[in-house]
Amino acid sequence: MDEYTIGVLTNVGLLAFLALSAYVLLVAGELSFGQQAFFGVGAYAAGVGTAMLALPLPLAAALAMGLGAGAAALVGLPTLRLRGLYFAMATLAAAEMFRIGFELFRWQVEVGGERVGPDGTQGFRGIRWVFEHGVEPAQFLLMVWALLGAVLGVLVFVERSRLGVAVRAGGQDPELAAAVGLDVLRIKLGAIVAAGALAALGGALFAHHNTYIEPRNFDIMLGVHSLAYALIGGLGTVLGPLLGVALDIGLLEGGRFLKEYRMIVFGGLVAVLLMFRPRGVLDERAVHRLTRWR
Amino acid sequence: MLSVRDLVTAYGKIEALRGVSLDVAQGSITCLLGPNGAGKTTLMMTLAGILKPRRGRVEFSGRRLDGVAPHRIVASGIALVPENRLVFPNMTVLENLHAGAYQRRGGIEHDIERLFGRFPRLKERAAQPAGTLSGGEQQMLAVARALMSRPSLLLMDEPSLGLAPLVVEEIFKIIAELHRDGATIFLVEQNAHMALKVAQHFYLMEQGRITFSGDPGSLAEDEVIRRAYLGTAR
Amino acid sequence: MEPLVDFLQNTLDGIALGASYALLALGFTLIFGVLRRANLSYGPAIMLGLYVATWAHLHFAHGLAVLFLIALASTVLAGAYVERLCFAPHRGGSAVAAMVASFALWMQLEEIATLALPRHLYEFPALYDGPALSLGPLAVRPEALVMLAAAITVAAALWAILHRTRFGTAVRALIDAPRAAALCGIHAGAVSIQVFALASAIGAIAGFLIVASHAQVTPMLGMWSTLKGMLAMMLGGLGSLPGAVIGGLALGLIEAHSQWYLGPQFRDFVAYLLLFALLALRPPWMSTRSAS
Repeated sequence: MDEYTIGVLTNVGLLAFLALSAYVLLVAGELSFGQQAFFGVGAYAAGVGTAMLALPLPLAAALAMGLGAGAAALVGLPTLRLRGLYFAMATLAAAEMFRIGFELFRWQVEVGGERVGPDGTQGFRGIRWVFEHGVEPAQFLLMVWALLGAVLGVLVFVERSRLGVAVRAGGQDPELAAAVGLDVLRIKLGAIVAAGALAALGGALFAHHNTYIEPRNFDIMLGVHSLAYALIGGLGTVLGPLLGVALDIGLLEGGRFLKEYRMIVFGGLVAVLLMFRPRGVLDERAVHRLTRWR
Repeated sequence: MLSVRDLVTAYGKIEALRGVSLDVAQGSITCLLGPNGAGKTTLMMTLAGILKPRRGRVEFSGRRLDGVAPHRIVASGIALVPENRLVFPNMTVLENLHAGAYQRRGGIEHDIERLFGRFPRLKERAAQPAGTLSGGEQQMLAVARALMSRPSLLLMDEPSLGLAPLVVEEIFKIIAELHRDGATIFLVEQNAHMALKVAQHFYLMEQGRITFSGDPGSLAEDEVIRRAYLGTAR
Repeated sequence: MEPLVDFLQNTLDGIALGASYALLALGFTLIFGVLRRANLSYGPAIMLGLYVATWAHLHFAHGLAVLFLIALASTVLAGAYVERLCFAPHRGGSAVAAMVASFALWMQLEEIATLALPRHLYEFPALYDGPALSLGPLAVRPEALVMLAAAITVAAALWAILHRTRFGTAVRALIDAPRAAALCGIHAGAVSIQVFALASAIGAIAGFLIVASHAQVTPMLGMWSTLKGMLAMMLGGLGSLPGAVIGGLALGLIEAHSQWYLGPQFRDFVAYLLLFALLALRPPWMSTRSAS
């Protein structure tokens, strides 16, 4: 595999975490404009972990997931009762506060005669754990996809469990779900926290892939993109978000023949696609049909 | 005037109407009775075009109306007074009436004056937001709003629902008056006693099907009432 | 004396800024009120309109009035296009799908605009390039007065349209009780595209005045317009037109004061914090649906 392909595939994997995080919330019936904040929290936390506290990457990633989950709970708890656009706007407001928080975040330490750490709007350079530990791009790609595979496995397992049914039920008809005795708010909070941890894991890997992060990376554009990926791919299966990312990045990077008209073609394509499949390519019905073939 | 044949309307897999056939004759008051959940409101919503039928025909003055959009149904001369009144709560009484006349041009002011003559209470409250009216006043407004489209057939879905007995009397008096002035009315009612007093013909509906049709008196009233509230023994 | 002057000056600046937000919020709210859908492409349509005007300015067109008409026409066209592709197909269907579709077209409109004019900044004829007027110790930019006058005029005109015309009756009926509106023979599809055209026209007025006040256009205009319009709408209580004006002014005042007293980085932070707190606490006016 050439370096270019490795780069594209790594990006698909990284964004898939964020798209999956949006997907988890969509299945739970909520629309978040703010998953990029937890992606950012994860990126900063893991960067601080390896570059400043000299933690190994797995530990730093675990720290990132914990902080991402905590940050999501912090946003989720006061907004638990909001629905629809109200919830979406609350998450957007929270995410923008996080982004501005990153802009104000200055904390640098001396590492090997060099100052390392977040420097406000200047960003955070020198997250070089991957490079310093001799991890080849192909190996990193493998790592990202192995983790993604593990996450997908867990999600598939959860979807098939009673919990997964409960999450979907709460998402499609909260009143009915509450009437049959499901604790809808607790399920929703669980989804918010899990989605936060997922996004943070993606962010942790993203920081180490890029070696440089800045607050601008985590703006609303990233959040709405991840939402779009999850919906285009389809809400019927955990593979939907993956397909969404692959469609965009595939067309974006792969379709170099379209080059500058890329977004014009892709934007129109998505709008037309949603006319015919408002719950994405792999919606529940398509998944049902596909799984019957076994 | 209105003829419905084998009409089926479903919510997902559940058929709320399971092949309904009935007729409403010009100039008559026809009444549809039945217990809760029989599909009466579903039928009204289907006739008004809000719900799309899965099968069957609706013909009105010789024109097919099944599956036609609500604004075209209003244009063809049918108006529905919906269940629970559904006035525009933040618009004034006068604006509600103008909304009812949306598809017409000309003669609107004259009609409003005429309706104010029939509903003096509405005239008093013309500039008040409809949401501040009492239940009975809202019901009158809903009737007046429907009349503003000058319908040749007036559909009414449970006009007495949730109203005090005196107000119910008043509503039925208005229905009788409208009929005397030549209106054709198709009425869904829970209050079988009141409905049978004004209707020339009635249907009983149970579990999405018409189970009886006849003139008031063709079935003992207590029997009608029993079946209208409870359905036949299952 | 000095602190009072600062306070008054910030308040003036805030109102001027808030007037532009109020205009953006009026258009955004009109669409949201009727469709109960957020149109993320609202800002990008405005951006495209002003990019077309800028492009025309670079090639042949002169005079603010001509440029305004070009911006107006192209924004309205872009708005109608968004309605047909993103909102008409999802009427009565998925709100999320409509919103994501409008995001997809956001990308598209922005790309068209930046393909035509790829630089990061283009000059636009200034509304006014003289000195500020002085009002005692206070300074007032004349273009801010124009903005304020425009906001008041547009709000009044919109009120008249909504309360004095047949189209207005239909719009308010749809906002108030969509099903009852259908039973009155009001065709939501036909009204919806007119609402988009009207909202886009208001957005174009806002965008034009903002761009002409700053004498420049940048690719940030699209995202900025959507965000500010949405934020002001939410602050004023979702879907109410007077609320949109109040929300816009409030947002302007919050931004001007927090920038002065807390520093530029807190300018947006305080507005977001307030929105978050308002949503979490849900004061009564945040849940009104009235548009009258």
